[in-house]
Parts: sequence; C-alpha cells; structure tokens
Amino acid sequence: MLEVDRITVDFHGLRAVNEVSFTLPQGRIFGLIGPNGAGKTTLFNAISGMVRPTSGAVRLNGQDLLRLGPAERNRLGLARTFQIVKPFGGLSVLDNVVVGALTRGLSVADAREMAQATLARLEMTRHAGAMAASLPLALRKRLEVARALATGPRVLMLDEIMGGLNPTEVNETLALIEALNAEGLTLLVIEHNMNAIMRIAETVLVLDGGRLIAEGPPAEVTRDPRVIAVYLGEPLEDA
Amino acid sequence: MQLALQIVTNGLLLGGLYALLAVGLTLIFGVLRVVNFAHAEFMMLGMFGTYWIWRLAGIDPYLAVLLVVPLIFALGIIVDRLVLQRTIGAPEVTVVFATLGLSILMQNAALTMWTADIRSVTTDYSGMVFRAGGIRISVPMAISFVVAMMAAAALWLFLTRTLYGKAVQAVAQNREAAALMGIDVRRVYMWTFATAVAAAGAMGGLIAPLFTVYPTVGTSYIVAVFVIVVLGGLGSVPGAVLAALVIGLTEAIAGYLLGTAWAELATFIIFLAVLIARPQGFFGRRGAETFGGR
Amino acid sequence: MRLATILGGAVLLAVLLAVPLVVTNLFWLNLAITVLLWAALASAWNILGGLAGGLSLGHAAYFGIGAYVTTLLFLRLGISPWLGMWAGAALAAAIGAGLATITLRLRGPFFVLATLAFGIVIHIVAVNWREVTRGAAGLVLPFSGGPENMMFAGLAPYWYIGLALVGLCVGTTIAIRRSRLGYYLVALREDEDAARSLGVRVVQCKVIASAISAALTALAGTFYATFVQYIDPASTTQFNISVQIALVAIVGGMGTVIGPVLGALVVVPLGELSRAYLGGGPALMVYGLLLIVIVLAVPRGIAGGIESVTRHLRRRRNS
Repeated sequence: MLEVDRITVDFHGLRAVNEVSFTLPQGRIFGLIGPNGAGKTTLFNAISGMVRPTSGAVRLNGQDLLRLGPAERNRLGLARTFQIVKPFGGLSVLDNVVVGALTRGLSVADAREMAQATLARLEMTRHAGAMAASLPLALRKRLEVARALATGPRVLMLDEIMGGLNPTEVNETLALIEALNAEGLTLLVIEHNMNAIMRIAETVLVLDGGRLIAEGPPAEVTRDPRVIAVYLGEPLEDA
Repeated sequence: MQLALQIVTNGLLLGGLYALLAVGLTLIFGVLRVVNFAHAEFMMLGMFGTYWIWRLAGIDPYLAVLLVVPLIFALGIIVDRLVLQRTIGAPEVTVVFATLGLSILMQNAALTMWTADIRSVTTDYSGMVFRAGGIRISVPMAISFVVAMMAAAALWLFLTRTLYGKAVQAVAQNREAAALMGIDVRRVYMWTFATAVAAAGAMGGLIAPLFTVYPTVGTSYIVAVFVIVVLGGLGSVPGAVLAALVIGLTEAIAGYLLGTAWAELATFIIFLAVLIARPQGFFGRRGAETFGGR
Repeated sequence: MRLATILGGAVLLAVLLAVPLVVTNLFWLNLAITVLLWAALASAWNILGGLAGGLSLGHAAYFGIGAYVTTLLFLRLGISPWLGMWAGAALAAAIGAGLATITLRLRGPFFVLATLAFGIVIHIVAVNWREVTRGAAGLVLPFSGGPENMMFAGLAPYWYIGLALVGLCVGTTIAIRRSRLGYYLVALREDEDAARSLGVRVVQCKVIASAISAALTALAGTFYATFVQYIDPASTTQFNISVQIALVAIVGGMGTVIGPVLGALVVVPLGELSRAYLGGGPALMVYGLLLIVIVLAVPRGIAGGIESVTRHLRRRRNS
C-alpha cells in the first residue's frame, strides 16, 4: 500500500535519510525504531510531504506522491501525528477534531458529528469542550491521534505518541492501535518503547544514521547484532 | 558620459547616507526581530535636534550631531524599556503595530511642537562644491558621506571584533542558545536598539545641512530604507551597506530617466520583486521570511 | 436560536432603522454614517487580518480601487454605481487573490511589508496616472446623478446603504466563521503545518480570504465615493488610510465578529473629538498612543477584553 523507494533527504550537506526503501502492505503494522537522530521523523516528513526528498519516491497504492503537498497526500488517505504535538490551542478539543473531519468533504454539521464519534472512540468525550491548550500532555497526544483519525486515513503514521505516558496510558494506547488495525487501518509507528513495539508491530524497521540497517519481525530484529550494537548500553526493556 | 558619472556619483553619495540609516534598521530586525516602523522618526529627531542646536546655540551642525546622538541614544533606551521590551513574545499584531503607533506618535508630537514649517540649516560651506574630474560634489554631502560610512564601518567592527559585538551576533542567530550561554538577552536588545536609533539620529544630523527639515520628513525615507534592508538581507550589516549603495544608485538613475514620481514606483517594484523572488536579499538567512517568528 | 436573542436582534434592528428619523442634526448623522463606513472597512479587513491572520497595511488600495473604478465607470461610461460597484469589487477580488498568491510564503513582518509596498504602489499609480485619475486633483461625482446613480440629497439614504454594507460585511464574517473555511482559517492561523497535515488547502484558503476581504473593501470604496461625491488619492489610497483601517479593527478586536464595529464606534468619535478639541497634530498623537496602548495591554482589543472579563466572571460564579 505504501511504498517508500530509495528516499534520500539532504539538509545543507547533512544526509539525514539515506536511500531508505520498504513496502508497507495494507492492513499491517510496521514499527520504526532507531537511536535519536537516526532520521525517523525526517523520513516521516518526507513521506507526508512536509519535506522534499533529494531523491527517491513515495507511492500510495501505486500513485506517485512526489508532486503532492501534505494536504493532498492527506486527502488521498495518508495521515500523521507529530512528535512534538501541535494542537490548535485556541480551539476546543472538539473543534480540533472537526478540522480533521472536514477534510472528508462533509458538511460542518456532519463533521461535528463525526468528530464527536471519534472523540467517543478515543474516550475523550468529557474533554470535548475544553480548550486544547489546557490539556495535559497525554491527552494532547490522544487529541493528535483523534484529529488524524478524523481525516479518515487508510495509512496512519504515528510519531512517538507514547513518549511521556505512564504504563497504564501506554497499554490503553496499544489497545487502541490494535483495535484500529483490526478495522483495517494500516499503521507505521515510530517508537522508543521497545515493549510496545514488540507487542504491536509485525515487522520492525531499524534506522541508524539515515540508513535502514535491519527489517524483520521484532524478535529477530532485537537479536540482530547490528541493531544491538547501535543500541549498545540500552536494555531491551524500556527504562 | 560626464552626466552618467555625475548621476552615479550622486547615487553613491546618497546611498552612503542611506547606509547609516539602513544598518540600524537591519540590526534591530536581526537582533530583536522587530521591524522598527518608527526608525525614520528617530532620524527626523536627529535632524530637528541638530537644527535647534545650530539655530539656538550657533554651533556648527557637524558638531551639533555629536550632542544629538547621545540624546537619541538615551531616548532609544527609554523607548526600549517602555515599548519594545513588552513586544517580546507578544502576538504578531503587537510587534508590528507597536512601532507603527510609535511612528504616528512621534511624527505628530513633532508636528505639534514644531509645526509643519519647513526649516533649513545653512552654513558658510553649504553651497560649496568641489570638482573632481569634471564632476561636481557638494562639500556637505561629501562630509556627510564620509562620516556616515565611517560610522557604519565602526559599527561593523564593533560587531565583529569586540566581545560585546559578538554577543549581539549570538543573540541575533539564536536567542535561546545565547541566553543559555549566559548572555543577558534583554540587555543586548536594549543596547542594540538604542545604538541603532542613535545611528538613525546621527544620519539625520548629517543630512540636516543638506535637506530640508520638517516633521514628516521620515516618510520620504522609511520606504527606501525598508527596501534597502530587505534587499541587503534582514539582519546583515554588510548587506545593508551594499544594498544602500545599490538603491542610492537606482534612485539617482531612475530619477533621471523617469522623473521623481515614477522613480519612486521603480523602488517599490524592486521591493515587491525581492520579497517575492528572493526574500532573503543579498546576505540574509534563507527561510527567515518563513518563520515570521521570534 | 433563543427567544431572547431573536427579540434582542429585532429591537436592535428597529433602533438602527429608526436612526435617521431620530437623529436629525446633520453633523451627528454624518458622523454616524462615517462610523458605518469605518465599521465596514474594519470588518472587511478583519476577514484577512483577523480570521486568516494576514496583517495588511495596504487595504487602502482596495478602497481606492472600488472608489475609482465606480467613479470612472460612471463619469466615462455613464454606468450607475449600483452596477459599477460590483465591477470594482470584482477587480479588487482578483487583485487580492493575486497578491495573496505571490505573498504566500511570507510570514510576519515580511508579509506586512509586502502589503505595505503594494498599497503604496497603488497610491503612486493613483497620483501619477493623471490621464485616468486626474491625480491629486481628484474626481468629482456630479450630484445630478440622482438616486439611480446612488446620489441622494439627504443623508438618510446613505445611512441605510451604509447599514446594508456593514450588515454584508458582518454577515460575511459570521458565515465564514461557521463554515468549513472558518475552521480552516483558524487552523492555519494556529499552526500551518498541522493544518496541512490534516488536509487543509492553505493556499486556497488564504487566497479566498484575501479576495473576499478585498471585494468588501472595494464596496466600501464605492459607498464613500457616492457619499462624499469627491475622491482623490489622499482620501482613498494613502497609507494613513490603510493604517486607520487596521487600527479600527485592532482596537475593536481582531478576529471577532463585533470587534471591528466596536472599534469604529470608539475610534471615529474619538478622532472627531480629538480633532475638534486638540487640533490635527495632537489628535493623531492620540491615535498613535491608542494604538501602542491597545496593542501592548489589550492585544485582543475591546471585544477580546470583554470576552476575557465575562469568562472570568463566569468562572468565578461557577467556582
């Protein structure tokens, strides 16, 4: 469904992403891991259209996305969240999600209903009227997901949405991801939380210094000596 | 050929004067991230200050400037404390309209105090001209040009060779990092702003013997100065100087070819073209125009 | 809608319609009509400046375009301003859309400077293109035009036209805020990247907001031309007009519906009073000071201030 074909991203002489290629089939969950600075978010930015790759291509269901900006890519079914959350602070939680829902071409009234349904799905209904700026981090991350979901994507890219969450919250989020996947949503998840990745990802991609150094089932990848070397000193269980 | 050289010389001389004004404005933008819409009003105050000292105490205008500059510097500190400091971190509308309001206030304060009468500073050497290779250069113009360029150079040396100057550059490049390095950012803002407007006042003093003095004189310059600052690259001192010379030349040439009215239009079209095609100008930081931000 | 709101609205409408019948003093009626003009201008500006976040210091250009296009169509081709005003609006909309397209990537002060330059370019053209605009001499609309050409003997008709204009501007603002465009504009104002990632077509939204804002401003230009029956660059395209338009909207409250109207209600009489008691220079000093104070102390303007106070009181009552 999502084909990333030799994507390379250079920033003023620094090669942030180096010839990364993989194919994410429909209905699967892929994890994307790697040390800080490995280029994971940059890769996301290239896929979502925020950053123009130096070379390479991205295809969604066979369609080349190169000429399309982030808005168009979203309308084709690609949604993402941001590592540093970007809520529309001056809008209510509900209105934040409405913005996403409107992309589907619904009327404002229908979009509001859809937004309410999405919030209910993520158990955020009681926060619907609150200003987004007033939410604590865990809820902001949830809002980020709700908003992206409201756009009705076929592929959802999550960027470290579990950072800063306590174990209970992590479990809730994992359950949500599994439920969404069960409904047919394809997911690409960046995470530092190894346990989380082990639990939900069928395939794990490992990025280091911009290169894809390993690809495979979680159990295999975490035993790969190259991956261990890259994470030298970091235990498998999340600290 | 003679005529062409004359026009070019006039243009460059004018550009040199603009440079002193532009350097201050570009510094304020580079460091404080504020477009100082009131910049030309500080120039106007410099003109008036010089005029009054000359008129009331009979002191030569070029000496009067030395008295005026510290006064405007002090005014700059006051304005920074009262107005500019409060715009840090404020929404965009505040940043833009605070200095715009200041400009309106200053112009009309001058209008109220001194009326719209047009005044002139005249000296024994006002009309003196010296010739170099068939080109006429007005003596006061030449003096002003030299002083302005020296002042701009001094500012540049200060910024690049002294420790404090480097602190200023650090704040311009990355405010948070500079603060983390122990630089008192607010202090830097204050000194930068005061120095920049003092430079504007100095420029005003230097042109008092050349051009007429009246409260709204700033409006004739502010536009050219914006163009220069954007063309040179917001925040770049050498850029401002280079762009000032370019614009001085452009005005002189366009003025001759098209007449003053349409020549003004030429300046603006250049402005719009630069903003659209290459907003970073000559030496500005690429992408600065997309941050909007501070 | 609640009964109280509907009743309140009806009462307000009745009061507004009755104004010319009650206010017979020409000076006050004239002032009231001027308030309407500035309320319309500020409200139109607000669509780009407040809703879309594009602070424009060049809106006098659109005002002038509306005024001049209508006047010239009338003087040269005998076309009634009732029709000509739509031509002016259309031209302004096209130019507004064009300007938005070329200034797309400019943020903050760069955008403001671009609009400033644009406004001054139009002003210079108005002053120097004498074959068409008669430059600083200006154009006179002969009163003989009559009502079919939007020229009336009394002031009352202008009050109603002005009211309709303000209604149009305010109504448009409300409609936009409730629509998908309204949501998109707030989103792109808050965080353009996040908005894009959610499918918001930022370019389209900015262009549309700019075009609508320009068109409404041009309509106000027509209103002004037929009201005063004389236009020149100094009264239409000059920079200080751009500043005042923005000032009224900001003082009243950018981004709100009622803000621009409140702003006009405060700034116009204040200007008149200052001019009368203090004289031209000091009156403008008041404007300058007002701008500085509002922008530093209450950046969300009067409307924003009222909103904060009521929210505070409501919270107090609930706790």
